[in-house]
Amino acid sequence: MENNVLNGAELAILINRFEGIARKMTNTLYRTGRSGVLNRARDFSCCIVTADCQLLATADSLPIHVLVGPDMMAQSMKDFHPDLRRGDAFLHNSPYHGSSHAADHVLLIPVIDDSGKHRFTVLTKAHQADCGNAEPTTYMGTAPDVYAEGALIFPAVRVQENYRTIDDMVRMCEMRIRVPEQWKGDFLAMIGSARIGEQEILRLGSEVGWDKLEAFCGQWFDYSEQRMAARLATLPEGVATASSTHDPIPGTPPEGIRINATVTSRPDEGRVTIDLRDNIDALPCGLNLSEACARSACLIALFNSIGGDIPRNAGSFRRVEILLKKNSVAGIPVHPTSCSVSTTNVADRVTHAVALSIAQFGEGFGTAEFGAFIPPSSAVVSGLDPRTGDPFVNQIFLGCTTGAGTPYEDAWLTYLHVGNGGMCFIDSVELDELYQPILVQERRILPDTEGAGRHIGAPSLLVEFSPVGCDIDVAYCSDGRLNPPRGVHGGGVGGGSNQFRRKKDGATEALPAAATVRIHEGEAIISICCGGGGYGSPLARDPHRVLKDVQDGWVSEQRAREVYGVTLDRSGGLDMDATQSARERAGA
Amino acid sequence: MRFATDTGGTFTDLVIEREGQLHLFKSPTVPSNPVEGVLGAFSVAAEAFGMDREVLLSKGTQFIHGTTHAINAIVTGRVARTALLVSEGHPDILLLREGGREKPFDHTVRYQRAFIPRARTFEVPGRFAAQGNELRPLDESAVIRIVEQLREDKVESVAVSLLWSIIDPGHELRVEQILNERLPGVPVTLSHRLNPSLREYRRTISTAIDASLKPLMDRYIGGLETAMQDAGFSGQVLVLTSQGTMVNADEIRRAPILALNSGPSMAPIAGNYVAAADTTEADTIVFDTGGTTFDVSLVRAGHVPFTHESWLGRPYQSDLTGFPSVDVKSVGAGGGSIAWVDEGGVLHVGPQSAGSVPGPVCYGAGGTEPTVSDAALVLGYIDPDYFLGGRIRLDLPASRRAIAEKVAGPLGLSPEAAALAILDVWTENMVQAIADITVNQGIDPTAASIIGGGGAAGLNAVAIAARLGCPTLLIPEVGAGLSAAGAVVSEVGRGFRRLFVTNSDDFDTAGVRAKLDELRSEAQAFSAQIGAPADATHIDYFVEARYAHQVWEIDVAIKADELEGENAARALCGAFHDAHERIFAFRDENSMVEAIAWRAQIRCKVADTTDLRIASEAAGEAADRHRQAYFAGIGHAEVPVLAFERLPVDVVQTGPAIVESRFTAIVVPPAVTFRRSMSGNLIVQPGAATANNSIKS
Repeated sequence: MENNVLNGAELAILINRFEGIARKMTNTLYRTGRSGVLNRARDFSCCIVTADCQLLATADSLPIHVLVGPDMMAQSMKDFHPDLRRGDAFLHNSPYHGSSHAADHVLLIPVIDDSGKHRFTVLTKAHQADCGNAEPTTYMGTAPDVYAEGALIFPAVRVQENYRTIDDMVRMCEMRIRVPEQWKGDFLAMIGSARIGEQEILRLGSEVGWDKLEAFCGQWFDYSEQRMAARLATLPEGVATASSTHDPIPGTPPEGIRINATVTSRPDEGRVTIDLRDNIDALPCGLNLSEACARSACLIALFNSIGGDIPRNAGSFRRVEILLKKNSVAGIPVHPTSCSVSTTNVADRVTHAVALSIAQFGEGFGTAEFGAFIPPSSAVVSGLDPRTGDPFVNQIFLGCTTGAGTPYEDAWLTYLHVGNGGMCFIDSVELDELYQPILVQERRILPDTEGAGRHIGAPSLLVEFSPVGCDIDVAYCSDGRLNPPRGVHGGGVGGGSNQFRRKKDGATEALPAAATVRIHEGEAIISICCGGGGYGSPLARDPHRVLKDVQDGWVSEQRAREVYGVTLDRSGGLDMDATQSARERAGA
Repeated sequence: MRFATDTGGTFTDLVIEREGQLHLFKSPTVPSNPVEGVLGAFSVAAEAFGMDREVLLSKGTQFIHGTTHAINAIVTGRVARTALLVSEGHPDILLLREGGREKPFDHTVRYQRAFIPRARTFEVPGRFAAQGNELRPLDESAVIRIVEQLREDKVESVAVSLLWSIIDPGHELRVEQILNERLPGVPVTLSHRLNPSLREYRRTISTAIDASLKPLMDRYIGGLETAMQDAGFSGQVLVLTSQGTMVNADEIRRAPILALNSGPSMAPIAGNYVAAADTTEADTIVFDTGGTTFDVSLVRAGHVPFTHESWLGRPYQSDLTGFPSVDVKSVGAGGGSIAWVDEGGVLHVGPQSAGSVPGPVCYGAGGTEPTVSDAALVLGYIDPDYFLGGRIRLDLPASRRAIAEKVAGPLGLSPEAAALAILDVWTENMVQAIADITVNQGIDPTAASIIGGGGAAGLNAVAIAARLGCPTLLIPEVGAGLSAAGAVVSEVGRGFRRLFVTNSDDFDTAGVRAKLDELRSEAQAFSAQIGAPADATHIDYFVEARYAHQVWEIDVAIKADELEGENAARALCGAFHDAHERIFAFRDENSMVEAIAWRAQIRCKVADTTDLRIASEAAGEAADRHRQAYFAGIGHAEVPVLAFERLPVDVVQTGPAIVESRFTAIVVPPAVTFRRSMSGNLIVQPGAATANNSIKS
């Protein structure tokens, strides 16, 4: 084995090849998926884990999907099926066995070498347009337990043997999932994507040698751990606690769900501990986290805070200890606790509590709060399409801003939500109008809703849409009206969320935070998404950037003057003298 | 005589076709006045031909011009003061784009604001629905108020892009009328006319880009024509497009967006030509390695595939052009890419580049970071005394020192092994870029030939081909000027498009025929305008289609006459299933097929070029000789350095060897066989090369 010490060039080439395989899986699925949630919004992820279930390569996947979870799912596949054979494929969506929530179907394929040895596992994970829930939504915020959700749960169930699909499972899904041919198309596309990963790894193994690949993985994890330790050594030493609160919905305490996180930084050891144990027990609603999401949400906050260049894999994760409690709303769920909305709402609050804790280590660390998620502009819409007489169900992605200010830059505008990393796409209005019987009346940035700061948080986006020739059901679970995104280090609060029904007479009425509402013909639904919190004092913001914000209609002249201390002259240019003296007066 | 120029960032290439042979010249680009650079190249040529420049120019029948003027204007923000008119309620189309982000944890990247700022974006009341019914009429008095505002704001150009104008252009046409009446002389671009595609962002951004370029490209083309006439040229001026074609100068004035990214789009045109002569594989991968960028493009069964996703800059950090164009993937992996070792001891190559200033360490111009070029020098692949024909002497000891200190030391390798590692990592970066574009276009590299062009291609072309498993590598004689050579064999043409949605279950044969007829007349009007004879004109038809529920259409070549009568739907489905299977490796015959848009691509042959041969005067006087070079597995060896131009035809030789021409050096590793073909190209069987030299199993 002494030959199997790889040098820095070999490491670079092999990680490139593994990442390339994950990217090839991703590109394939994106082009061949059938539902809008896959091929319009790209709400899916592809990754590779080692035979001993350590996360190796994730390409540009959604963080909440892959940081933790693939490892746990691969382990459950091994536990349930000790007899893995080439040609097997498994379907997994059980939040009690490492998956995120029932709507994320995961295809796992063990990569078996010619001698029959299990070498790697490839995973393709995709949010489904429908998963057979009791209501036509993949986010059942108000479901008291998994039985009320209603989705079929697959804890690593074998769905292919010898490269042939086991049709029993397909028929079960077809009997339970709405618009089954759309689901079937996505299922086939997922298998295709995972099989490409399998074949590419088999080719790599025969080219380079399996022992060499195994040695590579060990060394790559060590390298990643070392990079992580070096970076964590730059954090100040200390213990910090912060909280972030999810708005109340049916099934939660009246004050909502307050998530607490404590971060302990030990730079001398190059380690961090994140403690989520000080949180309430699981609730009779769909907001509870799966263990995978609780852990991923912590890691997202940490990686958002330490630069984008540290590899994210089992090696770097060794330096992070995450403490969870069993049967907690943000810990380890116990069946039949519902985790229907596990990837977004409370998970985002966990990320915020951790990020705000890290921010307490000083200016330059942590991030502001991102906006909260699932406004109606990202709802699951369903109904009968009067143009064809056929039923339809799909998640729409008409836009959700929510980016937070960071020590490095202004918010990334189209973030969707923090767990997503801004990776998802936004629907075209024309495509949405073509695919669903809806009309998008309006989609615009709301002025003066940005989280003020040296680096600003995103402004809110308003979207109004209505059914055309029918009624539609709109299912959403919108956090962030009562608890809008907060800034840090002097940064301001970003715009909160809200939603209304516009009635036939034009008047508006408020809608609940989490519901499946029927919007009738002639009515419209108005969705306002959260903006994001600002980072640092707005008085320290570059006045030229404030001027651009005014010109772009994000910030009014009055707000520029009062919040940013920036004065414009008559021609709309910067009045530097007035700005300077205003800022001096304000003590900037 | 025909002239073709390609204005690059550093050099302006001029190819002159005279009596069936090509002559290649290079002259520095003059960024402040590109026409001056072009005329400079003609001066170089005139001197080489021993004739007066005016005489040389007067002999030309065609002047084919490729320009980066449009993209430069966008990058530097020197475009016209442009207003955008959109449908009421939707002012943020250009701000929101289509979402997406490159790296989930990199928060240093700034979100780019809208191409046309909100302050010059105006909302026009009036709305059509997806089915083409008018929900709200156009509010003309509101339009008039907007136009008065535009006048007050001294707007120089106007883009109009309304929702569903592709189904009913009525509102856009009326807005244009009002603009023309009240703001005469201010150019207008309408979205449905320029780029009739679904997805409002793509249509709107292309419309905005086009309008913003109109005033300056009008001046540029006018200036070019005048300058060429003044210098003695009286032939036809043609301009290269991003669609791999040429159009006459007036067409660029009408739709200047056509000229964006035209240079790289010519490489596959040349590649297609070269591959036809010397390879048997159906598909071809074409790459072009310059100093800072590495471009990859494809030829699929004789056709150059298009993309609808061309970015102005980096993906998600810039804008799409939204306009169909030749699919070219560009990454920052040129010969100037910098090699560095991170704090954990892993080697990286790029994305930083030493560029031309300060350039690699070996240029001795102040560069301190080792680059790929330095590595090639240390390995003996580049001759320090014969770089660019001996114009620059390279500093080998300096390269060696930099690599020893910054790469070899931290990795614990010898300088030679470190240099080899640099080339290996560089190769892998390129291979990944090639893998991305081939996956998306459904091309299997192990069944494709590969063509290398550009000055730095020869350093690792064999390694790239071996790593991808391509059976044949081809380095064309014209490789160093691949894009300009593509211009010589490109045809006059452009694409036309119509949105018309129908499906295989309920196929609207009459509707499709009407659209195809419209496209045919439009294409024929185009060819009539350039005066192309009918027998030299060819129209290809495509449908953009997908399976039910998919949202990404693929281009499917169709025969217009097969889409008539009862079998029309079956013919469409057959062609679609085949195309889908070719790209994505599966077909779903039970699924309905939806057709979204129809396209006609017209090509008019305007020259009789049959060979891309470099005239023999280019052959250097340098004799075949030997040089010390370093290869994996054998270490230092005395290898033959062969002059490309003097390689005997069809004599198979075996590496190690270095094949040198005036513009490039091609490294052939041990045991790899190569020969020169009748057509003058170097043909290599890369099979015997080790893919990643650094990795030994």
